[in-house]
Amino acid sequence: MHDSKANDSSVSANARDFAKKRRVNRSAKLKQCKLDARREQWLSQVKGNSCKVTPMASPPTSSSPPVSMPRPQSCLHDSDMVFPAHIPISNSSGNTPKVGCCLNNSVSRGGSTRSCSLSASDGEEEGGRGEDNVALDDWEAVADALSAYKVNDGCHPSHDTGGTFVESHVPPAPVNDPCVQSTMKPEATRTIPRAWRPDDVFRPQSLPNLYKHQSFPTNMERHFGAKVWSHPVILSAPSSCPICYEDLDPTDSSFLPCDCGFRLCLFCHKRILEADCRCPGCRKQYSPVEGEKMDMSGVAPLIPFQLSRSCSMSSRS
Amino acid sequence: MPQRENQDVQDNIPGIAPTPLPQSAAKQPLPVAKAVDAQSVLKRLQSELMALMMSGDPGISAFPEGDNIFCWKGTITGSKDTVYEGMVYKLSLSFPNDYPFKPPKVKFETSCFHPNVDVYGNICLDILQDKWSSAYDVRTILLSIQSLLGEPNNDSPLNTQAAALWSNQEEYRKMVEKLYKPAQQS
Repeated sequence: MHDSKANDSSVSANARDFAKKRRVNRSAKLKQCKLDARREQWLSQVKGNSCKVTPMASPPTSSSPPVSMPRPQSCLHDSDMVFPAHIPISNSSGNTPKVGCCLNNSVSRGGSTRSCSLSASDGEEEGGRGEDNVALDDWEAVADALSAYKVNDGCHPSHDTGGTFVESHVPPAPVNDPCVQSTMKPEATRTIPRAWRPDDVFRPQSLPNLYKHQSFPTNMERHFGAKVWSHPVILSAPSSCPICYEDLDPTDSSFLPCDCGFRLCLFCHKRILEADCRCPGCRKQYSPVEGEKMDMSGVAPLIPFQLSRSCSMSSRS
Repeated sequence: MPQRENQDVQDNIPGIAPTPLPQSAAKQPLPVAKAVDAQSVLKRLQSELMALMMSGDPGISAFPEGDNIFCWKGTITGSKDTVYEGMVYKLSLSFPNDYPFKPPKVKFETSCFHPNVDVYGNICLDILQDKWSSAYDVRTILLSIQSLLGEPNNDSPLNTQAAALWSNQEEYRKMVEKLYKPAQQS
């Protein structure tokens, strides 16, 4: 008993370190992206004909934290009602796994996608620079560059509208599909700046969006971004454990111990398994698996494809 | 004699409580990671306090009493259009050391004439007992008590007089006012 606890804490420490490291990496890449964006902005200003694009191309670096985030008010009037939220969650339980999926993907894929999208942006930029040096009046190239931007712009808002949905509703997968570009929704453009700037903490992720949005799993961003301030209980995929308020790491985030969709971190889950063994979200007993540690098998029947990560830990699924 | 969890908890508070009680380690066979627990309870309570203060819910408030974050004082204002409208009730909340996993003890400090509150201020509310869930927090507790004021459960009264009188709202209101003593101390 003692050992396992100790291990747990060390594991968590490791995980946190890891997360930190990743964040550092990300911020480095982000800086790169910002630089690129600024260079491009400058280039386009030199051209003097693309002012409409530049605001998009240079996400303001000033961090203006949102004063007011949408704060879902849970009104617990009925003493019997536990969490109104667990209903929508369970309804969309067919969808929720996608979140986990995307999380996994983001971890494993993040680096590569980012790099390739970066290179793409470099390509664009190269084109821009080429114009600059060689043919200042090569309007065709400029137009190309512009349209390249527009495509990105169009793509961006289409994700953002997803972001402004009700959190518990996970929109269907096409958002991830690069082909969204072609079906961009013009009406979405207006909400761009507001949808992402608010989440100050995770804003870095959204900065490079111009370049990598097509490939980056947007679900994660949306959930992480929107959840930070809102009441954890209401939402399907909180960024922190609603029990201990510690951040959920990717493993925790893909951990769905109960059919009702209530998420919590592995440590709190373990605590509960040692005690009354009931899900805090719906008060139902957790599926009685005695192997307590990492018992993911309760999840398996519901979302078999979510277990890409957890399979390695529990052999029983 | 009652192996009550709250009792255990009191005994296990490791020095965070201002009055460190003698540890009776034999009671809970889990001496494991107590410090870790205390840390996490601390974090949770601090986060809750922050969230509560940011939320600005009307009619409820709570704040730790003195230096001890495990003891809070709360206030609840009676909701509009109930017989408790305009009344302000003080409550005390004391959190066990394994807090979110066990409910806090919540009591009325101000005497409250209510079917589900006894003369000592004890509250009969299921979510503070068997219906507790670790995902509840101070805010939801206070909101629940606030709504309990206006919607008593007269079937299992602690205060039978109040339960009997509930049907006569005018008389009831008079009673509420008569027995209401604005908190004079604490």
